[in-house]
Amino acid sequence: MIVRFFFVSLFMVLCYTNTLGAEPVKPVVAGTPNAAVQATSVIAPLAQPVAATVAKPLEIQKTAAPAPNKVKPNRGITIGMFGVIIGITLCVVVWAAKKTTTAADFYAAGGGITGLQNGWAIAGDYMSAASFLGMSGLISLYGIDGFMYAVGPAFSFIAILLLIAEPCRNAGKFTLGDILSFRTSAKPVRAVAAVSTVTVSLFYLIAQMVGAGKLMQVLLDIPYKVSVIGVGILMVGYVVFGGMKATTWVQIIKAGLLMSGTVLLAFLVMVKAGFNPVTLFSDVVKSPQIQDHIRINLLKDAIPKEGFDYGQRFLEPGLFLKNPLDQISLGVAWALGAAGLPHILMRFFTVPSAKEARKSIVIALFINSSFFFLINLIGFGAALYLTPQLISSVDKGGNMATLLLAQLLGGGAGSLGGDIFLAFICAVAFATILAVVSGLVLAASAAIAHDVYVNIIMDGKADQHTQVKVAKITSLVVGVSAIVMGLMAEKENVVAFVALAFAVAASGNFPVLILSLFWRRFNTAGVLSGLLVGTITTLGLVMVSPVMTYPQQIANDAKKIITALETKQSGGAVLDAKELKILEKAQADFNKNDGGTSMMGLKAPLFPLKNPGLVSAPIGFIAAILGALLFREKRAEDMFDEIEVRQITGIEITRASDH
Amino acid sequence: MSGQTYDWTSIAKNPKYLELKQKKRVFLFSWWIGSTFYYFLLSILSAYAPSLFKIKMIGVVNFGYLFILSQFVMCFVVALVYTKVANNQFDRLTDELVKSLQKEGSI
Repeated sequence: MIVRFFFVSLFMVLCYTNTLGAEPVKPVVAGTPNAAVQATSVIAPLAQPVAATVAKPLEIQKTAAPAPNKVKPNRGITIGMFGVIIGITLCVVVWAAKKTTTAADFYAAGGGITGLQNGWAIAGDYMSAASFLGMSGLISLYGIDGFMYAVGPAFSFIAILLLIAEPCRNAGKFTLGDILSFRTSAKPVRAVAAVSTVTVSLFYLIAQMVGAGKLMQVLLDIPYKVSVIGVGILMVGYVVFGGMKATTWVQIIKAGLLMSGTVLLAFLVMVKAGFNPVTLFSDVVKSPQIQDHIRINLLKDAIPKEGFDYGQRFLEPGLFLKNPLDQISLGVAWALGAAGLPHILMRFFTVPSAKEARKSIVIALFINSSFFFLINLIGFGAALYLTPQLISSVDKGGNMATLLLAQLLGGGAGSLGGDIFLAFICAVAFATILAVVSGLVLAASAAIAHDVYVNIIMDGKADQHTQVKVAKITSLVVGVSAIVMGLMAEKENVVAFVALAFAVAASGNFPVLILSLFWRRFNTAGVLSGLLVGTITTLGLVMVSPVMTYPQQIANDAKKIITALETKQSGGAVLDAKELKILEKAQADFNKNDGGTSMMGLKAPLFPLKNPGLVSAPIGFIAAILGALLFREKRAEDMFDEIEVRQITGIEITRASDH
Repeated sequence: MSGQTYDWTSIAKNPKYLELKQKKRVFLFSWWIGSTFYYFLLSILSAYAPSLFKIKMIGVVNFGYLFILSQFVMCFVVALVYTKVANNQFDRLTDELVKSLQKEGSI
C-alpha cells in the first residue's frame, strides 16, 4: 500500500517536473555522480555563493566562445571495445544464471563471494562515472578545490569500515529491512525500510541513467533515448538473469578496468612530469594559460593585479567551494550517507563471515582512496597539458577532461594511439555505468521482493522457487521503471536527485541502522519515526533548496547581462557579433523565465544549503531517539542482547543465513 | 529471525563477552569520532583559515595540498590499524569466547 502510494507520488512528481522544469544547465555527466552533488553542475553556477545568482552565462560564454570543440572518439574502435565489454559481461551472466537457484543465490550470491572479490565489487559499486570524469574535470578547472572535493567519497568508507560492515554481516541477511526488523514489529518496519531503500536507490538510479544517456550520446553520437534504453536493457539483463553473482562480477570487471585506466592515465601524466610531482605542480603554477584562466574566468580581474600570483591561486582553496556551511553539510552526507546506502550495505551479505566482510571493506577502501587520490594527478595533468580553456570549450563543466587527456597522452587526436586510448577510456566509463546501475536495481528489487512480498505479504512463507521468480519479476519492473523515468527525466536537474539519495541515506537510514545495532532501548517506534522524519525532512529541504531550478533567478541573471550590454551600447560602443549573440540569448532566457517559479512554486530557495545533511541528519537522529523513548517496547529491549551478541561475535551467523 | 535456542542474555553477561564488547566499542567509536573530526577539520580550516592553506611547504606545494593528501593517508592508517587490532585482538577474544561457550554447552 505504502509502496504503491510512493510509486504513484514519485511518478506524479516526475511528470510534474517534466512539464514545469525549465533547465538552464545541462551538464553532460550530470548526475552520474556518486559524488557530485556539486561536481556535476560544475558548469558555472556553483562557482557563485549559494544564495547568490544561479548562472552567469556571460563569463561562461567567454571561455566557451571560440569554435565549440567536441570529443570525437573513433566510432569503430569505441564500438568494438564496448562490444568486448558487453560480450564478456554476457558470458558472466550466462555462467551466473546457471548457479542462481535460491533466494540466497539471487540476493547474496549464496554468501560465496570472497573478501577480495567483494572488496573489488564494493569499489565497483561505488566509484561512478561522474567521479571518473567529473571530478578530474573539476580539478582541471578549479584546481585544489576539486581535490578537496575528492576527500569526501574516499572518507565515506570509514564509517562503513568501523560501524557497519561486520555488524551488518553478522546480524542481517539480504536487506536493510532484515536488520531493522530484527527486534521490532517486523511488518511496519520492513514496509518503511523498503520505501526508504526504493527511494534512495531509485533517485540515485534515475540520476545515473540520465548521466549515462547523456554521456553515451556524446561518446557514440547516438540519440539520448537509444543510449538510455540500451544501458537499461543490459542492466536488466544482468540482474534478472544473473542476480547478485552476475552483478558482482560485472562490478569486479568494471573496478579492474576503471583502476587500470586511472593508473595508466596518472602514470602517463607522471612520465610527462619526469616522475616529480613538485615539477608537475610548478609547471601548473607557471602555465600562462592557467594563470589567464584564473584571472579572467574565475577571479574576473580584467587587468592583472600587481604582484598577485594567479598561478599559485590554483593551488589555494576557494575557487569552487565558496560556502563553508555548504561544504560541511555535504561532508555530513559523505561521512554518514555512504554507510546508509542500501546497495552498498547489501554487498556485505555476499561474504561468508564478518572476517571476510572486514577484508572486503578494507580492500574497497584502499581501491577507492587510491582512485580518488590518482584523480588529482589526472586533473592537474589535464589542466597543464590541455589547458582549462580547451577543456571548458568542449564541456563547460569540464566533464570531458579525462577523455581529452587520454586522447592527448595516447598520441593526440587522429593518431591511432590517441584513438585507442580514448576508446578504452570511453569503454571504462561505459562499464562503470553498467556496474553501478545494476547494483542499484538489485538493491531496490530486493527491498520490494524480499521485504514487501515475501515477508509482509507472504509472512515469510514462500518457497525458494517462488522467491527467485518474484525477485526476477521485481527486478524487471524496477529496471523498466528506471528506463522510463530516465527517459522522462532527460531535461531534469538530476543533481537534485543525487543530493536527495545521499541525504536520505545519511538522515534516514544511517541513524536507525546505528541505533538498531548499538542502543538497547531502540524499538519499532524509533525505527519508524527516524526513517519517516529523516526521509521527509530531507525530501522537503531538497525541494526548497538551491539545487532545484528557479526560473526567476535565471531571468534575473539574464536581466543583469542585458542591462550591462545595453549600458555599453548606449555608451556609444558597438557590440561585436559575440556580444550580440549573448544579448539575444539573454533576452530569450529572460522572456522564457521571467515570473516563473520552481516546482514548489518558489521564486528563490527557502533553504540555503545545497545538501541538507547538516540539518536533516541531526533531525533524523533526534526523531529516532525521541520515538524510541516515547514508546518503550519491552520485547525490543529484551532482544537487544541477541542482536548485540550476534553482531559482536557472529555466533549463529551460518544458521541465520540458512534460514 | 531464527533460533531462540541460545540463552542470549547469559552469553551477554559472560565476562569474556563483556571484555570483547567493551574493547570493541571503545576502539570503534573513538577511531570513528577521531577520524570524522579530522575529516571535518579540512572543510572548517579551508573555509575559516584560508591563509594557513596558502603556506608553501615543498616548492609551490602548499599546506592545503599536503593536508588534503594527509586525509587519504588517514583513511589508509585507520584501515590498517583497525585490521591489525581486529585480527589480533577482537578475533582472538571472539574465538576464546566461542570456545568457552562451547565447553559450557551454551552453544
